[in-house]
Amino acid sequence: MMAGGGSSSGSLSTVSKGPPLPPEAEELEEDAVEIDYVGLSEESSSCYPGGKGDDGETEEKEEEDEELELGLSLGAKKAGGGASRGGAPWREYCRILTAEDFPSLVSRASPLSSSSSVSSSSAMLGGGGGGGGGGAGARKVAVSGARGAVGSTNPPPSQMVVGWPPIRAYRMNSLVNQSKDNTSSNAGVITAHKKTNESSNNHPKEVIARELEKKRGLAGKSLFVKVNMDGDPIGRKIDLNAHSSYETLAVALEAMFHKSTGGLGASRHVSRTSKLLDGSSKFTLTYEDKDGDWMLVGDVPWGMFLSTVKRLRIMRTSDSSGLEPRLHSSKSGDRLRNVA
Amino acid sequence: MPAGGGWAAMFPDEVWEHVFSFLAADGDRNAVSLVCRGWYHIERRSRRRIFVGNCYAIAPTVAVRRFPNVRVVSIKGKPHFADFNLVPSDWGGHADAWVAAMAEGWPLLEELHLKRMVVTDECLELLARSFKNFRVLALSFCEGVSTAGLAAIAANCRNLRELDLQETVVEENCVHWLSHFPESSTSLVNLSIASLEEDVNIAVLEHLVSRCTNLKTLKLNYAVPLDRLVNLLCRAPQLANLGTGRFTAEYRPELFSKLESAFASCKSMKSLSGICEAVPEYLPAIYPICDGLTSLNLCDAPVNGASLTKLVSRCKNLQRLWVMDVIEDDGLAAVASSCKLLQELRVFPCDPYGADPVSLTEHGLVTVSTGCPMLQSVLYFCRQMTNDALFAVARSSPNLTCFRLCIIDPHTPDYVTLEPLDAGFSAIVESCKDLRRLSVSGLLTNNVFRSIGASADCLEMLSIAFAGDSDAGLHYILSGCKSLRKLEIRDCPFGDKALLANAAKLETMRSLWMSSCFVSLGACRLLAQKMPLLNVEVMDEKKRGGSWDSQPDDCLVEKLYVYRTVAGQRSDTPPCVWTV
Repeated sequence: MMAGGGSSSGSLSTVSKGPPLPPEAEELEEDAVEIDYVGLSEESSSCYPGGKGDDGETEEKEEEDEELELGLSLGAKKAGGGASRGGAPWREYCRILTAEDFPSLVSRASPLSSSSSVSSSSAMLGGGGGGGGGGAGARKVAVSGARGAVGSTNPPPSQMVVGWPPIRAYRMNSLVNQSKDNTSSNAGVITAHKKTNESSNNHPKEVIARELEKKRGLAGKSLFVKVNMDGDPIGRKIDLNAHSSYETLAVALEAMFHKSTGGLGASRHVSRTSKLLDGSSKFTLTYEDKDGDWMLVGDVPWGMFLSTVKRLRIMRTSDSSGLEPRLHSSKSGDRLRNVA
Repeated sequence: MPAGGGWAAMFPDEVWEHVFSFLAADGDRNAVSLVCRGWYHIERRSRRRIFVGNCYAIAPTVAVRRFPNVRVVSIKGKPHFADFNLVPSDWGGHADAWVAAMAEGWPLLEELHLKRMVVTDECLELLARSFKNFRVLALSFCEGVSTAGLAAIAANCRNLRELDLQETVVEENCVHWLSHFPESSTSLVNLSIASLEEDVNIAVLEHLVSRCTNLKTLKLNYAVPLDRLVNLLCRAPQLANLGTGRFTAEYRPELFSKLESAFASCKSMKSLSGICEAVPEYLPAIYPICDGLTSLNLCDAPVNGASLTKLVSRCKNLQRLWVMDVIEDDGLAAVASSCKLLQELRVFPCDPYGADPVSLTEHGLVTVSTGCPMLQSVLYFCRQMTNDALFAVARSSPNLTCFRLCIIDPHTPDYVTLEPLDAGFSAIVESCKDLRRLSVSGLLTNNVFRSIGASADCLEMLSIAFAGDSDAGLHYILSGCKSLRKLEIRDCPFGDKALLANAAKLETMRSLWMSSCFVSLGACRLLAQKMPLLNVEVMDEKKRGGSWDSQPDDCLVEKLYVYRTVAGQRSDTPPCVWTV
């Protein structure tokens, strides 16, 4: 049973999982009331700021930092630290929670469970910018109370809860690919890795661009794409979000395929500029974009590349006959017509 | 009774075996084996099919030893919530030990069905080598195999009838695995590769389909385009179950008419799925087979409701319909008036987090329930619900065996009265006496669990999320629900008291999953101590290689999985899992 977690009428209720929340969390709660719930009626009580994780766990400092963020942004951080939408979500919370919260919540004897675990499932590990929030495991995140009236607007708060709604992640990724007027830039980002733990979002184009920018600095979402190299039957996968530039990507690829073929240059030094990119190697790095065309890697800005890349191919330079070397390429990127 | 020999000696063994062969249900055969020693042995030697609901409930070698003549085996691994990424990905469920034991002890094995297990290429290779009569490989919701493993199966299983990869994730590194089916291979009856992402060699596929004249089930993957579908259908007009690839292309009249006549030539088509990314222009090509369809899966076709409605209205004999919520209430009304034989309805959300609400409400569910008297199984995702709607469903569909309602926002109350949905769900369990599976959602207090515990006598599987007020809720469930086998709970305020008070119940169940509840490590230790025949596994992904022993009793357990077993502690737990 919960200790000390009873909901008081009118104010935010906190659910503690065991001993009462430490003072920091309660303060945060207060802050949350002031900052985030401006304009909310007294009855609204259904949002629970992040409570502490398991008692007795270490990493307290980290959790405090997390909580600060969680408190302020009302748990807008997604499962595993995936594409956080910054300020937008808690604004939506404000909208959702005004006057929609029903008295029945307040009168209940015990508070609702607020502990939706936002654990990053280990499906996310092994690549990506898994660090920070993602890798640290379970976090308790606010789940806003249910909306009352029919007319209340989406998006629902369920998007910050791992594994909810209970649909296969596989399916969700494909749904976002296909759904309605989903933009192809969206598809490029999200289709890449089926096993990802992330809940897929259906966002308009502008939000995608913003998200991509944020992705670079954020822990979380992996963007795995397949990489094939001519002459090597085994395809690999590489997480593009683990890189912030073409250079690091190329270096990583060289390292990945070095052992198998040695064709990329036997040097074990991690060169700062990869031979793949400057046209001096026997191999050239190309990618297939969302339109199905094969392009030279390196011509478009990194962010744009991320949003359109579907997969990579390291092809023999001699095969890329329709291709202009990068040094001479036009800004818009060359299209390979004769690539098999 | 004859002296000395007991029952068994009254007749020769073969007679008893023949008698037992009429017992299809495992439960009956289990009962028979308890009668006397003689029957135990006769039964175990004559058992041909076994079902292992939890791969860790018994050691593979023990199973193989007890039932030496098994031909068909079905094994399940990970807990159901693994589908939603709640179970650590390295939790376990490895098929290796099983396949190794089977290769030793069951050389005549014919069929292997695995669900939610980790299968490796080595397993498949061992399989392909060891079982000369191997006919059916069904991997559903599995992972760990690659197309290289599939190639081994294709090449070596001479009489392979079924290769079914439903929802199994396959690493695709061997592009031409399909070519490994030898020319002489003509035995395929079922080829289901919908989960493959990459291209398959369609020419090879066409040739395979042509020579397998007994092919009844063909489920293609997204990579097979519409025009190639036409060729495949023309080569296999005898198909009964078809899963198309992508159902989208620029509209071309000649492609449309070819597609339409291809479908028209399939006189035996009973089930249709796939239709990925369908465009409305091509849907009418399906019309020729609609009348004969008993099962239609449109979960990958987020087409507008009107087109879906037109399609579904023609399927008068439909028994199973899986569709997305874009069909909306109007579409479901059409289903209710056209598909009078409907038994199973599943409605999935097209855009669970989306900003555009779809006009699918509780009305759609009520309409189908009222209009389809044979409705038995419902899985319904929606955004709003009322107790009245649930009352209506309870009244109109008392024969429900499976009712799974998922209201997308946790804690959503009845939107009209703002009350919890206790009354509605209570009505369901009280009215539907044969209910075997139930998932609840929305705003729920302990009251609903009191009703479920008291009334749901046939309930075997219960899923609870974001519900309840206190431990009493869990206690009602565990102390009632006579037939409960699987209980899975997440994010509920249930804790130690109810768990410990009902420890004995857990031994009568297959498994219990609790995550993000209020269970303490101390209670788990106590439970494990009291109940030696249970494995109490606690999981915490933060903990990798850390020591569980030193954790204090009051430390909360993030994920708990309790299951009965005669195999003792398993030896393959990853660092984040600890068997208490």
